[in-house]
Order: sequence, then C-alpha cells, then structure tokens
Amino acid sequence: MEQPTKSKKRLATAKELSAIIIEYYRECNQARIEGRPVGWMPPMNGAIEIFYAMGLQPVFPENWSPICAAFGLTPENFRVTEQMGYSQDLCGYLRNINGYVHGLMKQGGGPLGGLPEPDIIISPGAGCIPVMKIFHILEERFPDAKVFRADLPQVAVEDIQEDHLRYAVDEIRRLIDFLAETTGRRLDYDRLEEVVILSDRACELWDEIMAFRKSIPTPFSAAEIGIMFVMVTRQGTRTAVDYLTRVRDEVRERSRAGIGVIENERVRLFWDNIPPWFNMGLLNYFEGAGGVMVAETYSAAWSLRLNVKNPIEALAMKSLMSYPMVSCVSIKKRKEMVLRACRDYHIDGAILHSNKSCHPITLGQMDIKRALENELGIPSLVIDGDHMDERNFSLAQFQTRADAFMEMLLSKK
Amino acid sequence: MKAEMAAPFAEIVQNEQEYLTRIASQGKRMIGYFCTYTPLELIHAMGFLPVRITGSSRRAEKAYSLMPSFICPYMRGVLEKGLCGDYGFLSGIVQGYTCDAACGMVNIWEENIGGSLFYSLPLPYNDSPGSREFMRARLRDLAGKLESLGGRYSEEALNASVALYENIRTALLDLYDMRYRGALPLSAAAFLQVILAGFIASPEDYLRMIRELMSSLDRESDQQRGGVPLLVSGSIIENPRFFEIIEDRGGRVIADDLCTGYRGLQPPAGSGVDAMDALIDRFMKRFPCPSRIRAVERLPLLLDLLQASGARGVLFLLQKFCTPHLADHPMLYREMNARGIPSLEVEIEESLDVDGQFLTRIESFLEILR
Ligand code: SF4
Ligand code: SF4
Repeated sequence: MEQPTKSKKRLATAKELSAIIIEYYRECNQARIEGRPVGWMPPMNGAIEIFYAMGLQPVFPENWSPICAAFGLTPENFRVTEQMGYSQDLCGYLRNINGYVHGLMKQGGGPLGGLPEPDIIISPGAGCIPVMKIFHILEERFPDAKVFRADLPQVAVEDIQEDHLRYAVDEIRRLIDFLAETTGRRLDYDRLEEVVILSDRACELWDEIMAFRKSIPTPFSAAEIGIMFVMVTRQGTRTAVDYLTRVRDEVRERSRAGIGVIENERVRLFWDNIPPWFNMGLLNYFEGAGGVMVAETYSAAWSLRLNVKNPIEALAMKSLMSYPMVSCVSIKKRKEMVLRACRDYHIDGAILHSNKSCHPITLGQMDIKRALENELGIPSLVIDGDHMDERNFSLAQFQTRADAFMEMLLSKK
Repeated sequence: MKAEMAAPFAEIVQNEQEYLTRIASQGKRMIGYFCTYTPLELIHAMGFLPVRITGSSRRAEKAYSLMPSFICPYMRGVLEKGLCGDYGFLSGIVQGYTCDAACGMVNIWEENIGGSLFYSLPLPYNDSPGSREFMRARLRDLAGKLESLGGRYSEEALNASVALYENIRTALLDLYDMRYRGALPLSAAAFLQVILAGFIASPEDYLRMIRELMSSLDRESDQQRGGVPLLVSGSIIENPRFFEIIEDRGGRVIADDLCTGYRGLQPPAGSGVDAMDALIDRFMKRFPCPSRIRAVERLPLLLDLLQASGARGVLFLLQKFCTPHLADHPMLYREMNARGIPSLEVEIEESLDVDGQFLTRIESFLEILR
C-alpha cells in the first residue's frame, strides 16, 4: 500500500501539533495506568469539559480515525469490519473504529500506544446515525464499561427554544450525577467554571485565527487545519488555550507581514465537507497553480461562544449547536454560513467534496452550490470522494477536474 | 388467495395522484411525512390529512442533480416525485427525526419544492418524565405551527383522532393475528397493498375499508396457506413484486419488521391522562426502528416475532445505503445464526433485477429452509 500523503504545513505552530497529539494519547494511556477513569465519547459536546473538570479522561473514537488514516491503518481496519459482515456503504468512521477495536486493539497494537479501554461510554442519542451506531458497537465490544445513554434534541440552531435548552441542561445534570456515581468523584463547580472559561477562550482564539484568513494573501490554509485537534480533544484545557494563542500570534505576525502560505496566491478556494484523511496532500494540490484553500466548512463547528456565567447552560448550548452547524439539520443555516465565509474570505471558487462516508454533511451540498453561483457568482467543483475510504476516490479524475477548474478560475482573473 | 379483496386498496395505491388531487380539490389540506415516527394523530386532529410521501417506480432523473447517488433509493424516489410536481398539493412536511437521509430531505424539499411548513420533530431517545415533558413541549410547538396554517387544536379532536388511529391499527393487527394462525386468505403482495393504502387514504375511509375487508374475510373459509413461513425485516418496501416472487416460489411472508408493516402499528395506542399523553406514551413504547435503538434490544423482539408467527427464517430486505438497518445487520445475522435461524440479506437498489437476481437468491434461500 502507498503511504498516506500528508498535507504541507507552513506554520511553525502547525508543526508543533504532532507533539500535542502524542502527548494527548500518552495521557489517555497514562490515565489507565494511574486509575483515572477513561470515558469514550462522541465529538463536539459539553461532556468534554465535564470530564476535564472532574479529572476524568475523555477519549474520542471518531478522532482516532484520522490518526489511523495518517498511519495507513485504515485498510486493515476496514478489512476486519468487512469480514464481520458490515456493508462498505457505511460511514468510514464506523468501519474504521469497529475494525480497530475488534482487530489491532485486541492484539494490543496501534500507533501512539493505541487507545485505552473505556471505563465509561457516553453513548449518544443525537448527532448522526453512524455515530450512534458506533457507540452501540462499542457498548457490545466493552461490556464492562458503564454506559451513559445520552439524549439530545436534534434541532436546527436557529430553532432552539427554551424547552430544547431545558432538556439539554437536564441531560448535562444527569451526566454529572452519573459520573459522580460511577467514578466516586464529585464535580467541583468552581473548577467547572474555570474549564468553561478556558473552553470559551479557545473558541474566541479560534475565531481570531479564522479571521486572519481574510488577509490577502492568507497566512493560514485548510492544509493547516489539523490545529482543530485541540478543539476536538482539548477544549477546556490550558493546553488548548496556550497552543491556540501561539498559533494566533504566528498567524497575526504573518498576516501583518503579508506572508501568505504560498508565494504567489492567485486564487482563493473554499473546501466543503470533511477532508480526505488518507490524502491530506490534496489540500495543497491547487497550490501549484496558485490556488490556496483559504477556508472550509468544518471549522464552523467551534465558532461559537460559551456563556461563562452559566457553565451548565453553556455546555448544554454547545452540545445542541455543534453538530447541527455542520450537518443537514439545517441546510438554510449551513448555506448562510458558507456564503458568509465565502464573502468574508474573498473566495473565488469552492470545492464541494461529495463524501460517500458522510450523508449528513453531503446532503444539501447542491443547494449550497446553487446559492454560491446565484448569490455570489462563485463557481464550484463537485468532487466525488470519501473522507476515509480511498476506494471511493479517483486521484486521476480529481486531478483532471481540479486542473480544469483552476484553469477556468484563472481565466476569470 | 383472494387478490380481489385487496383491490380497493390497490386501486388507491395505483391511483395515488388522482385520489389525493381529488381530496385536495375538496379543500382538504395535507401534510406530508416520510417516516411512521410522525404524530399523525395530531396532524389529523388539527384538520390536515397526513400523507406518507412514497417513493417512485420511475427511474430517477431530476433527483440526481440535488442528491448524491449514495442515498437510499426510497429517498431518491421521493425527491424525484417531489421535483416532478407530484406533491404540489402538500402544505408542508412534518417529520419525526429518525434517519439522516430523512432529515436532509426535509431541508432539500424546503429549498427546492416548497410549501409553508417544514418541521422536524426531535424525538427523545430515552423514556423519562423529562423526555416526555420535552416531547410534549415540542408537540405543542408543532400544534402552534399548524395553527398558523389555519389548523385548530382541541382536546376532543385529538381524543377522537387517537381513537380513530387506534381502531385502524387494532384492525390491522387483527389481520396479523389471522396471518400467524394461517387464517388470512390474502397474499403478502395483496396485504402490502392494504397497508400502503393506509398511507394515502383518509383514516375515516381507510377504517371503513378495512372493516369491509374483514367482513368479507369472515365469509372466507380458514384455509391454511402453504409455503415456508418467513419474517421480512427492513425499512420501507413499496414494490409488491418482492412478495409475489417469494410466495410464487414456495415461501410465505408470515411476519414482518417493516415500517410498511408491523413496526408502524404496534402498539395501536398509548395510555395517559390526556390525549397528548397517550400520543407520547405510544411513541415511547413503539416497536422500535433501528434508527432509534440498539440491535441488541431489537433482537429479542425479532425472536418473539419469529416465535409468535412460526417463521422459520428471516429475509433482511434492506434499502441500499440505509445506515440504520445496515449497521444493525451483522449483529442480528450473527445472533440468528447462532440460534440456527437462517437469514438472507438483499439490498434494494435501482439496479436490482427483481425478477432475475432477487428471484435466484430467494430460490436458493428457500431451498435451505425446506
Ligand atoms: S456520518 Fe458524518 S457526521 Fe456521522 S460519523 Fe460519519 S462523518 Fe461523522
Ligand atoms: S430507508 Fe433507511 S436511509 Fe432511507 S429513509 Fe428509511 S431509514 Fe432512512
């Protein structure tokens, strides 16, 4: 098998990331050794902050998929999953993590020390169906783990009302009680407040960093977006805030000095949908012809602020908002966000990754495409692919179409 | 097998468009839905006819421009019909939040086909006083939205609708009982027409039709129908040809776990201090769809169904790309297999040759079961 192609990162701070990733997974495994309870949970929700506030270790099986992709383990994980009878049409995250927990993990293998077994599983009723089914699979695989059956209203961000919030708040409280009971640790509310302040600060820095991408040339591109690792795994910690501060400083410096990620930026591009983790080099592909991937949809998931005066409510709100902002729960909202981003970042063209692995993000893309054309005159290129499964992607076809698209954009300049 | 007894039902299914246009021309307003986890009783009580949006037997053409190829054929058919203007009479769509495809489709419909109301009802996954209270708040909110379209809410009307739908479901479940006892002189294909008509017809008409059917069944003798009894599990089945083939080749569909079947009927009603409460109670106790629950929790229910019906094998007849069902299948297969229950999985897609590939696979499956 070919080695996965990594993206080219230009920021010094983006290069620091591997140390942060290694340290996070070391901490996860250390937790097991030290007897600090480990909980596996879905991404983008308020349980993360509660775990950090209670001194528990959050682990994110979905985040493990890009890691497996980066280490070239996906094909082996897929093989195990398919042998168990799972359809190739299921989301690659599900097929990857299932293959990992039933394959390599059982053999004690895996990069970065592998994942520690869970003591607790936060099993979501919310988000997409694959993520819910991932956790059903995990419950079966780790029968000794204590399971919290979380529930969260599926609601478009613009439609959130009092009762949605009340229910989400009740769920957060129920989670806190559950964790206290299963781990014997109490939640210190002062500590929670500190964590939520840190979490909010991370969001604020996130927005600041993103805002610098408006500069022409852009000091930061989608190829550097790996920094979101700290938003996924480290929200509510000093590590995230310190790291993002350094990124912000560097990006600010570069922006002031007018240093772009490439020397001759000619075309500014937007990426919609999850990137192809098996070939992140694609995000640099357009650079040869002067195209930079200035912005992407995914980063919107952390573009929110937390009401630090009411930490529980803030976490409930965060849980309610993160997933709907990037999925098809409200195409109206997503369209609005993509259009705003394309306007703010001075985008010339959009790449819409039609991602076989992710129905919720792919549905509605054609409406976004039309709105970009009609309202902003921005042309788009639809690329058939998959964020995990290389078999659903043709590099040759991508190159031909990408080249033609760039040529067209350049001719308009 | 008296196909003609199902003829009035088949007629509605085949002439859906004319039937609904006629109702619309009488001034009746309609709300579309995709999934049986939709509060039909509330919609009906407020003066609207809830209509299940069905897929299309036409080849999709327009739909591909708005939706990728890896979405279930059912939803593709739905979009095709919507784009062809087949549902121009709908005032909007109300959909219980179940799967991602349905969630996306509500949005795509709103963007491209139009209507006045688009409502995804978030259904709680847990049953607790808090989740019931939340659902009540949501149903009230929905009622408010329907009011702004000119609907009227009253406790009496809701009570009446709950009772009406309960009567329908109870009658259909009686037919299931007869089927288990080998006393239902209807082929599975004809029975499917009976079920499908219920997604289109007004519930008043439909109940009357079922009652007529039942009285004509009473006049039939209890003749045992032969064939290897099967349970069919999946999401939505619209093409009766699948069942015809099974029964032509010596199988007999005796039980199902389908949302065009048993799953939408059980239990017929819930209980509670008032009609809204009863509505919520029924949602909480529903025979579950995989989009709502774990495979391990569905397994015992399916085993019970096998036992109650005497089915000897399971046909998983799934829509291609249907994540909820595809994700549960390996575990169900493994557990059935461990209990010596043979099962076969077939995925429905546009390219599936029903009279070729499907037939061959069914024949060899039935061979194993004989
Ligand atoms: S379907 Fe999309 S949102 Fe769901 S787990 Fe897969 S990648 Fe994530
Ligand atoms: S068939 Fe499956 S994927 Fe399609 S709408 Fe139904 S549950 Fe969703």
